[in-house]
This record gives sequence, C-alpha cells and structure tokens, in this order.
Amino acid sequence: MASNLFRAAPAAAPSSVASPCVSVCKIDAASGWCEGCKRTIDEIAHWARYSDAQKRAVLAALPARHSGTATG
Amino acid sequence: MSTPPEMLPRLHVLERGWLSSNNIVFDDDDGISVVDTGYVTHAEQTVQLIDRLRRGRPLTRIINTHLHSDHVGGNARLAAAAHRWSGASANIIIAPGQAAAVAAWDEDALGYAATGQQCERFAHHDVLRIGATLTLGGAPWEVLAAPGHDPHMVMLFEPHARVLISADALWENGFGAIFGEIEGEPAFAAQRAVLDEIARRAPRVVIPGHGAPFTGVAAALERAYGRLSSLAADPRRNANHIAKVLIKFWLLQVRATTYAELLAHFAGTRYMRLIHARYFSQQPLEALLDRILMELALMGAITRAGERVANRD
Repeated sequence: MASNLFRAAPAAAPSSVASPCVSVCKIDAASGWCEGCKRTIDEIAHWARYSDAQKRAVLAALPARHSGTATG
Repeated sequence: MSTPPEMLPRLHVLERGWLSSNNIVFDDDDGISVVDTGYVTHAEQTVQLIDRLRRGRPLTRIINTHLHSDHVGGNARLAAAAHRWSGASANIIIAPGQAAAVAAWDEDALGYAATGQQCERFAHHDVLRIGATLTLGGAPWEVLAAPGHDPHMVMLFEPHARVLISADALWENGFGAIFGEIEGEPAFAAQRAVLDEIARRAPRVVIPGHGAPFTGVAAALERAYGRLSSLAADPRRNANHIAKVLIKFWLLQVRATTYAELLAHFAGTRYMRLIHARYFSQQPLEALLDRILMELALMGAITRAGERVANRD
C-alpha cells in the first residue's frame, strides 16, 4: 500500500505487475533469497526487463518460499 | 502493455521498493556506470545486483541525480566494491550545488539530519554540469536542472530515443515530496517549471526514481499538474503529506517501533518540527503525530496497536 502514499502508479493501472519488493532488500546467504520478497538476485536484477507473464511466474513461486515449502 | 517499454539496449533499470531509488546501469565501452545507488541499509544487495549485471567489467562511474539518502546511500559501498573488482576507483559524480556540503559531510546541509534519515559518507570526484552532455551506454544524455522536489536535483535526457531519467521530478503518478515549501522556498513554482520542461522535451519513456519505467507520459504529466495544483492551493496539505512521507520512510527502514520511540525520533527531526511549528502549531506535536499515524493506518501504510507502530507492506 505504500504506493498509495508515494503514488507510484495509478491504482487501476492495468499496464504492469507490481514489484513484490517490501524494502527489506537483503539476501539471505543460506537460501539465496531476499529476506523480504524471497526473490533471487537474478529475479530482482532482471525484474524491470521481464514481461508481465515472466513477472507473474516469479510471483507465483514466492508463496512456497515464504512458507518454507520450497527448497531452491 | 505486456512487456516493459523499449528503451535503449545498453541501459538496465534495477527497480526495488520505496526505501531505495531505482538504480540505472549503463553498459559503457570501458565498463559500466550506475545512476543512483539506493538507501544505505540496502547497499550490500545493491553491490550484489551490480556485480551480477557488470559481467566482469569495471564499475567506472557512479552518478547521482540528487543527494537524498535514498539515491546516494550505496555510493560508499559501491565505490569500495569497484575498487575490489578492478583495482581502480569509480568516479562519483554528483548533482551540482552541494559539493562543499558533501566534501565536509555536513549532514545538516545535506538534509539527512533534517529528515531523520541515514547516509554513509562518501567522497565525490566531480559534479554534473547543467546543459552538458554525458555519454552513457554509448548514447548522449543531457543534464537538465530539475528543482522542486530538491533545489539541486537534475534529470538526464536522451534526445534520440527520447528517454528521460526523471529522478523524483515525475513518477507515473505524482512526484517526490515538495520539501522546499515548508522552508519558505518557492518550490511549487520550481516544480511547475520542471513539469513544463518535461512537456517540452516530450519523452517517449520515463525512467522514474521510484517505480517501473513507463510510457503514457502526457497522462502522467496531467496527473502531476493536477496534484501540484491541489498541493499549491493548500500548503497545509503539502505539509501534511511530507509528514506522512517522513514517517512512512522511517518505518520502511526500522520496520517496527514503539510510539514513544517514534515520538522521540521525530521530536528531534527538524523537518517534522518545522511542519508542526509552521502549519499545525495549535496542537501539540504528539497530537499531530497521532493524527498522521491514524491517517497512515487508514490508508493501509502502517499498523498501530497500542504502543506498537509497524510498517505495513
């Protein structure tokens, strides 16, 4: 909801898939995932170049990493 | 659009959240350059990201659109990493106007003390010159003055592909807080002139300081003009917005705190005291912060349960 405050994008913008970044931005050395959003360095580094489909594929992988059911 | 806007092949945007600005990485002939480096608490990850993108090439230049803590916080760590990577220092090139404050590391003049934010000290090597052209990623980028959000801010514009690195002068929906007005500077007028300049240049793609690169620039400008008009018509609304931004930014950094700690932090923060004294002095600072926290909670930006105040993503 931070975007409501900082007004990054119109609330109804259909154009882009929102970044899952939650401003923690620290890689956990053991998992290789960001402690906040659970993306890998590659997934964060290339986010801006991904198509919406690629972004959605990354987002789909994150819940399992958050819940600890994914291992890599 | 289903894919990001076509930009320039030798330009790469690292987009994260709101505590760190975007970092724009250029593939130069002799190495790589980075425009803006994010917040200090993210610097280790910023180094990891740049290391991944540089593919063994040296980092030769670090360029800053302005000196706010979310745009220069990775400078020191990236410069040190550049030296480790290639044995040569990266040149840090800052926006003009505050070189003496950077050299002396005057945290008051640089605004870190006034906003209650942190930044790691770095030494600059050069300053950008308004109207000059830099070669980044093999393309010419003109340095444009962009006062408003920050009196010393610059933007970078590539006239052939018509790509604008807008810093915090234009986002897809709005722009960075207009801090100068609370100090009595004519910053709304400055921001309006910057929007006019952007409109004249008519960029095809804007790479903002925060958020994804976007097209549809005319519509973004229209939203920005509308927001600017409403803020300028009611300076208390602008002051209230800045208070919210300061609190949200700090909570992004500390994640969770107590109300007592928050009160102590902002009682010692010059901008918050100024907002209180100039616009809301009929109530105690505590009442002002209480109201701002309630507004932030209502918009879903934070949570407050008794003494505990926490960021909400």
